[in-house]
Parts: sequence; structure tokens; C-alpha cells
Amino acid sequence: MKLHRKSVLSFFHGCRPQAPDREGILLKKRARNTSYQRRWFVLRGNLLFYLKHRGDHTPLGLILLENCQVEPHLKATEPYAFTILTPGVEGRSGRAYKLAAENQEALGAWLRALGMVSCRRLAVLLPALEAQYLELCQAAGHEPTSSPECCGYLATPSTPSTFQELHERFGKEIRVLQVEHRGLQTASDNGGSRFQAKLEQERNQFVDE
Amino acid sequence: MRYNEKELQALSRQPAEMAAELGMRGPKKGSVVKRRLVKLVVNFLFYFRTDEAEGGAPGVPGPRGGGPAGSALTALSPQPVGALLLERCRVAQEEPSGFSISFLEDPERKYHFECCSEGQCREWVDALRGASYEFMRRSLVFYRSEIQKMTGKDPLEQFGISEEARFQLSGLKA
Repeated sequence: MKLHRKSVLSFFHGCRPQAPDREGILLKKRARNTSYQRRWFVLRGNLLFYLKHRGDHTPLGLILLENCQVEPHLKATEPYAFTILTPGVEGRSGRAYKLAAENQEALGAWLRALGMVSCRRLAVLLPALEAQYLELCQAAGHEPTSSPECCGYLATPSTPSTFQELHERFGKEIRVLQVEHRGLQTASDNGGSRFQAKLEQERNQFVDE
Repeated sequence: MRYNEKELQALSRQPAEMAAELGMRGPKKGSVVKRRLVKLVVNFLFYFRTDEAEGGAPGVPGPRGGGPAGSALTALSPQPVGALLLERCRVAQEEPSGFSISFLEDPERKYHFECCSEGQCREWVDALRGASYEFMRRSLVFYRSEIQKMTGKDPLEQFGISEEARFQLSGLKA
């Protein structure tokens, strides 16, 4: 199977300005060896990358965390050890990655972070929050904003920005609002869901620029 | 960059958000359209050959699927031909009933897909745009922030995840 590496590396590099969900040194036991090696681990979403050194351009490897099990490993030779068990094929168990943190605090933090990764879990949480949000909007008589992407700009805490940055940011917000305005005018012609789809499409175009 | 093939295979066999036979063309110049069984599982897009095994790709109903013979073959079903990670990508509708996926770091390289109708195409575009972890996380942070503004309460507290770094408001910075 061909895993399109560029799509993965694009994610790894592209998110760089943003802090990852968690990163730090972990000891990793080699597959057929009893020795642990020091590696720099970077957790983003449901992917755990590991690098030989912090700041290396290309990760050494990648662990897929969707549906994995994470447990402290009490009988390991290293203290603060834990195991990531990835699902296997056809009910067989997958690979067991043996890792160890550098201290108790790091162990606790990694266990918590890794326990939260599943896309599926987010996918369960999200509709509940969305429903609550829409209910609240309705009760308050607010228009719900359908795209969190655009409100990401509005919700950014105020930090000193250059005029250029502000100009760009507000420019994007204004364009989105203009699209909305146009959309509202044509909504009566087109009917609900098609309007929504078009709006999403236009918003995404602006966001991806 | 190493990865465990079995991990990816196992993921490809998970229940899919979307699955259908589509025409697919790679980003290289001169690539031809091939029929593929395309399957969206969380933030990965898998594609399988359509001619192997009666059951086709696992988790996708084949032309003769359902009977005992079909399910026996599904157990031996093939690996995907390939997988794409759907993060930091742009999904665009392409006339008349297709869509393309490109990655923000390399917008000229596009993977093209052909659907059988505009309706099917729109379904796929919506599903793919909502599939990324980053999109879901931003949505979650947005709803959390809005709900907190309106109610004064943090909706994530009841799940015990309000301290998680990944769900903080600062995560919305582009």
C-alpha cells in the first residue's frame, strides 16, 4: 500500500507554527532489541511522529493512534514506562510500542494526551456541542455562524499585530461577510441547503488562501 | 519515514464515513483515470482496486456481497492500493461532477476524483472537508468558546477534558 508521504509530511511541517498537542523526549524500545533509544516525539491529532533529534526536518517514523490502547507498563526495566498498542488486522493484536517518559509528571501528561487522540471520539463530541450551540443561538435569537474557520480570526486573543496582518485579517473577514450578504440575498431563490453548501464552499476558498 | 503497514491496513478496515466507486486520477502529468473503491475512514482516504475479490474492499458492499460466499471472500480482501492523509488539504469541486484534493504546501499537485452525479460529488466534498482532525478540533474550540460566552460555563468540563492543550482557544491561531 502506498502511503502518500507528501500528505503526511505536509501535515507535519505545515502545522509547525502551531504548537503540537504534545511533544518531548521519550525513550523508545527498539523492536528486536532490549535497549531504549532517546527520541523526540511530536503528537498532532491522531498521529504520533518521532524524530531522531528535535528540529530534524523529516520524522524517523510515525505511529497511527486511532483506536489504540495506552497503558502504563509496570514491569518494564525502565521506570515511567508505558505501552501503545495499535489495532491489528482481523482481530489479531497489532504492534506494541514500548516507550518510557523521563519522569512521573511527563508520564502522566503523555498518558492523558494519548488517551484523548481518537478522531472518532471528537466526532462523537462535536455534534453534541454543535447542537448545544445551535439551541443557545435559537434561544437568544442569534444567527449561528456555520463556519468555525472564519470565527477563528475573530476569536484570536488580541496580540500586537502589524498593520499588514490586521489589514489581511480584516480583509478576509470582510470578504466572508460580503459573501454571506450576497448569499442571504439569493437564499430565497435557491432554498436552504444549497445556499448552505455554497456558503461553505466560498468560505473554505477564502480560508484556504 | 517509517510507519507500520498493518496499522494502516487495520485502519482501512474500520467502518467508513463514506465509501463508493469513483474515478481517480493521480497528480502526475499524463495519469489516467482509474476506477477505484474509495473509502473515507476518519482523516484518511483509502483507495482499493475494484476488480479484486467478489466482496471488493472491506466494509463496502460489493456487486454480489451479502451471501456467505461474499463474506468469506471479504475476510481475505485485499489491501488498499494507497492512502492519503486528509490534513491541511483543500477540497475543490471540479466541473461537472468531480472534485480534487490538493495539499496546502503544494497546491498544484491535485488528485482528481469523478463522481456519478453532482449530488454524490457534493456529499463527498462536504465529508472530506469535515474529515480532518484540524477541522474538528477548530470546530470544537469554536463551539466551546461560543457556549462559554453565552452560558458562562465550559461545556468540556463535564467530560473532564477542559485542560487539554489541544482544546484551548489559543489553538485557533492560524
